[in-house]
Amino acid sequence: MSADTFDIQAVSPMREGPAERKGNAVANVERSEFVLEVNNFSVDYGVGENMVRAVNDVTLHLRRSKVLGVAGESGSGKSTLVYAMTRLLRAPGVISGGSVTLNFTSRDDEKEFTTLNLVTASEKELRKIRWSHVSIVLQSALSALNPVLRVGREFDEVLKTHRPDMSKAQRRARAVELLTMVGLNDDRLARYPHELSGGQRQRIMIALALALDPDLVIMDEPTTALDVVTQREIISELHDLRSRFGFALIFITHDLSLLVELADEIVVMYAGEIVERAGASELYEAPRHPYTLGLLNSFPPLHGPRRELSGIPGSPPDLSDLPAGCNFYPRCPFAMSRCENEAPALTAIENSDRSVACWLHSSDSSVPVPVELSRTVNPARNPVTTLKERP
Amino acid sequence: MSEAVLSPAQLSARHLTRHFTTRVPGRFLTAKRVVRAVDDVSLDLFEGRVTAVVGESGSGKSVLARMLARIVTPTSGELVLEGSPIPVRSKRTLDYAAKVQLVLQDPYASINPVHRIRHSLERPLLIHGANKGEVETLAKAALSRVSLDPPERFVDRYPHELSGGQLQRVSIARALCVKPDVLLADEPISMLDVSVRLGILNLLRGLCDDERLAILYITHDIASARYIADETIVMYAGQIVERSRGTALVDEPTHPYTQLLISSVPDPSDPTSQDPQKREHATFEVANVGCRFAPRCPFAMDVCRTDDPPDFIVGEDHTSHCWLHASEPEAAVEVAPPKRRREGEPTKA
Repeated sequence: MSADTFDIQAVSPMREGPAERKGNAVANVERSEFVLEVNNFSVDYGVGENMVRAVNDVTLHLRRSKVLGVAGESGSGKSTLVYAMTRLLRAPGVISGGSVTLNFTSRDDEKEFTTLNLVTASEKELRKIRWSHVSIVLQSALSALNPVLRVGREFDEVLKTHRPDMSKAQRRARAVELLTMVGLNDDRLARYPHELSGGQRQRIMIALALALDPDLVIMDEPTTALDVVTQREIISELHDLRSRFGFALIFITHDLSLLVELADEIVVMYAGEIVERAGASELYEAPRHPYTLGLLNSFPPLHGPRRELSGIPGSPPDLSDLPAGCNFYPRCPFAMSRCENEAPALTAIENSDRSVACWLHSSDSSVPVPVELSRTVNPARNPVTTLKERP
Repeated sequence: MSEAVLSPAQLSARHLTRHFTTRVPGRFLTAKRVVRAVDDVSLDLFEGRVTAVVGESGSGKSVLARMLARIVTPTSGELVLEGSPIPVRSKRTLDYAAKVQLVLQDPYASINPVHRIRHSLERPLLIHGANKGEVETLAKAALSRVSLDPPERFVDRYPHELSGGQLQRVSIARALCVKPDVLLADEPISMLDVSVRLGILNLLRGLCDDERLAILYITHDIASARYIADETIVMYAGQIVERSRGTALVDEPTHPYTQLLISSVPDPSDPTSQDPQKREHATFEVANVGCRFAPRCPFAMDVCRTDDPPDFIVGEDHTSHCWLHASEPEAAVEVAPPKRRREGEPTKA
């Protein structure tokens, strides 16, 4: 993985030329290398006294055709983050700050690059970009597909709505093409969701998400409900599709080892905040945050001697009752007195393109970094091979 | 992990079978189709040992657990509890329930949300004849056994006030209340957060080592089975396809299905786990004749499509339900139900 892949310091380039404002969308701008830019984004549930902050000050940038993995346990805010980002969040969820910028090529005019702030976009503007430019695959395919419609109808309706100029035969042909893409036979179009297995339904969801050739696909735990064998097939299918169509992907899961194989870059979330951000193999080989280390040690290995693992002590955090300092402080094996009262911010680690929110790595820390958290990546023995490398 | 001279099995299943009949509507007539959810499964649960059953959804592992708990009546086969055969056709007795307890997958659904934790723990005690005066002490003792300390903090809480991991501990405490000999755990960690899963696994392992419980651990996660089990059994479509003591099955899988299962686990430390040629498309077809895995098997031979293989010995305490091992010299003998095999076996972990 080249060093320039995750250069976050470079924010989107300066835009030149006669930018043209259409509502919230700014058209005819310089093409940004990022497909999605999220800045200081926060989401609350409820207002007033009972308010709970589910996503706190999250900043991430996703380059075109890259895979961003979001890892975290339930309650870490990973699903809330993507629902809010795509404006799918329902009350009592409230976006309380920040911006989400989507950079895409408008369909109306092939050459026109447009940037749209999703937080302030109107329903009409959102309708234009949803599915065409951003699509989403949800965890439960059974509840995402309409149980009383044949699968073919789902494809037909999407294409009919977003591509009104397509004829019925063209729509059907496109649906068959999409099914073939995800490795399903076209006789599945006449089936109802309950007649398909879990893996087949999830393939249908992926095919639907790709129906309009989006720039960004978001997948929220798409394989969690599936068996490992089916999961493996879907992941390699996904890898193929990405190399063919080059969409950017945000993949949310609690399974860190799956992400290490699939993603270019991984962010680890804890209690609504990003605690660590790094390239996939760096994160796996040399975790810097104690929580990441704990997560990696929570999966019993398939090889090597059996030894007792400890996991992470304590319980996942209660968002309505977070500690004063670092959120991970009560469970952290390396906690210091400073962690109790001061919350560390996500800061870049010197001489690297990764960042971590932990006092242990702060430059003014007097405590030496524990050996578990200061490992270095050995480039000669990099076990993460090239599932994600593309021509 | 456990080093013990084997006493007789606490609970044994002999040729346990459960078929479900489903109706397939045709154009004129409704056809009946038999689903062989569990087919001729024999296993023994010993005190102080964890036996893991690994399989995908639909492999029959949960039906097996429910038959062992006598919630589902077997179509045929028998259960032997501490040496005495159990009349499986009759209703489950209170005595049986006290000896064999089941822990379910989803703690949010298996603990009554409108009652305090106290209620969930005291009710089984009262049903099983404890004195009213002592139930509170016993309930608190059960909470301490699953490391919910101090118990006073938990007895008067409602389930929604606890996290998933804590609730699963309550669920295990509830099973332990009645002092069972056998604990059946059906996917106890799959609904829990990653960071608390190991805590539950270590708890089960501790109960097994310290209190000599016989534990059946059902899972779809073969790595967790390798982590805690003394014996591992892999099921496919209702049959046991491979079984071994210790970690032999995971370290050197001999059945093509076990190999597929292991190669599918995301494992960043193993570059071959990403071999793209492994993405052959899954058929969910289960063969009615011959080996059930044959339609998906990359090594399927003619004999696989006509005859169901017996269990071949492939190593010490290691059998594989696959014709591929028929030609191995010492393995050519058919192995009968595991009990016979066990009698002369060396005691080694």
